[in-house]
Amino acid sequence: MSTKTARPGTTGRVPASRPAGDRPPRRLGDGAFAALLMLPGLAMLAAIVVYPLVASMVTAFFEQSLVEPGRRFVGLQNITELLGGDFWRLLWQTLVFTVGATIAPFLVGLALALALNTRIRGRAALRGLLLIPWLVPSVVVSFLWMWIFNANYGLANGALEALGLIDSPQAWLAGSGTAMTAVIVAKTWASFPWIMVMLLAGLQTVPVELHEAAETDGAGAVQRFFAVTLPHLRGIIGIVLLLEQIWNFQHFDLIYVMTGGGPAGATETFATAVYETAFQGFDLGRAGALGLLWMVLLLVMVAIYVRRSEREGQL
Amino acid sequence: MSKRSARESRGSRAAAWTAVVILGGFGLLPVYWMLATAFTPAQETFRYPPSFVPTELTLENFTRLADEPDLARYLVNSLVVSIVTAVLSVIVSAYMGYAFSKFRFRGRRSLMYFVLSSQMFPQALLLVTLYALFSAYHLLDTYTALVLSFTTFTLPLCVWMLKGFFDTIPDTLVEAARVDGASRLRTIHSVILPLSAPGLIAAGLFAFVRGWNDFIFALTLAGREKTTLPPGLVNAFLGEATAQWAELMAASLLASLPVVVAFIALQRFLVGGITAGAIKG
Repeated sequence: MSTKTARPGTTGRVPASRPAGDRPPRRLGDGAFAALLMLPGLAMLAAIVVYPLVASMVTAFFEQSLVEPGRRFVGLQNITELLGGDFWRLLWQTLVFTVGATIAPFLVGLALALALNTRIRGRAALRGLLLIPWLVPSVVVSFLWMWIFNANYGLANGALEALGLIDSPQAWLAGSGTAMTAVIVAKTWASFPWIMVMLLAGLQTVPVELHEAAETDGAGAVQRFFAVTLPHLRGIIGIVLLLEQIWNFQHFDLIYVMTGGGPAGATETFATAVYETAFQGFDLGRAGALGLLWMVLLLVMVAIYVRRSEREGQL
Repeated sequence: MSKRSARESRGSRAAAWTAVVILGGFGLLPVYWMLATAFTPAQETFRYPPSFVPTELTLENFTRLADEPDLARYLVNSLVVSIVTAVLSVIVSAYMGYAFSKFRFRGRRSLMYFVLSSQMFPQALLLVTLYALFSAYHLLDTYTALVLSFTTFTLPLCVWMLKGFFDTIPDTLVEAARVDGASRLRTIHSVILPLSAPGLIAAGLFAFVRGWNDFIFALTLAGREKTTLPPGLVNAFLGEATAQWAELMAASLLASLPVVVAFIALQRFLVGGITAGAIKG
């Protein structure tokens, strides 16, 4: 846990590049000076990110309780138990949430970005107002959608019944078939503004001449979208989808507040399962094992993201 | 004018309007519903079907919030923790971002990736050990634990924001300071940081917003004394059999206000500040 894990030596070994007579002899080399500048930050990250992540995964190999001291090495037992049981259900549910809560806000964000990139009136005000869902705290998003999806007095029931889409009020968040969809709708609402802003920024870089040339050649709006706009946005779309996927794969707040993983575990994901196993079940070994498997999957996504960002010149 | 109609046919403008009305409605109606419920008398919210337009406007939900003694404490806790987190993150990440931006050393890229990816790992897993760690040092239910845990996500964010900001400051400024005889540390403190005020403020506001919105760390690491608004509101309102929705929407509105205000401030800094600072300085 000590600050020594902050990768010493990676920065300090570069010798001073300037001739020795140029400056007072006791002056640090640039590499060492940079290392000193980074030391407080790296020490903090080592102590509160790297060490806890590694230590949490190490508990996968122990039988250990949150509330009692001591632990016993059990090898792969926690992991094999999970792989023979709950893991696949959790993986499936996490994937359903991740895919749903990535694709839906992407489509909403893309449509709005395209619409607000035209010269319709009031677009500046709309761009600002539509950021609100992204700004409000996740807990507030949860409250608001719990209220909208409320079984007895909710707006969703009232509106859908008025439109004739349902016959009687539904308990959206308490139904095992609807709870996941309801949470994904709430997450979609909270996520689309960021995607919209990113895509709008990307759209500004599409050269007008290309559109005009395509139009001269007789391409319609839809054709131009697929032939000119979309290829131009490819890089930014990739980044946005990857990041959303990484965030959703570990999303906790909305699920925990809105359903608590229920009903009957129907909206449980890795995030809520690890949390409940550790802090309500006190079973750190099982939580660590789940976390370890979760991290392996996440590491793959993060590696893809970092490589892709590098290629796109974002880093 | 002719160019406009050439590029945007009637059909695509109709499509744009349809998207704005339907999807913009999806974005803004819930906001309206939060506002409407917050200003509706509590008993009016227990009615089905709900009235889309409030039958009566009132401030009683807000005044009733004042009777909840814990809420004021949660609010103060949220402010203290978010502000301290923002200040600490900006100070620490300014030096780190500067090193990434203006120095070339071995391992620089790997370290930058390390910082970038360090915010992408699950907080629930981090907490398994952070809880034990803070417990061992008797830091549970303290501001220290909350600030340190919030730093796990604000620090990487600020480092990257500030690195990007320092990249826009020309190296010739650093060189000029060196020629004038300023030490490297002095260059940072007297030349770079004053020029970077807009960037530092923007990073600080972003960190404040992220800290303000945190739920899981405060839920786990803080008890009744030091907990912040998000877990505080969950405990205060969702435990009851019938939630007080009107009051909860009023509280939600108040909890959202600081971040919306912070963002309006942030927007101005981001637009006006980034390039102007270096040139005028």
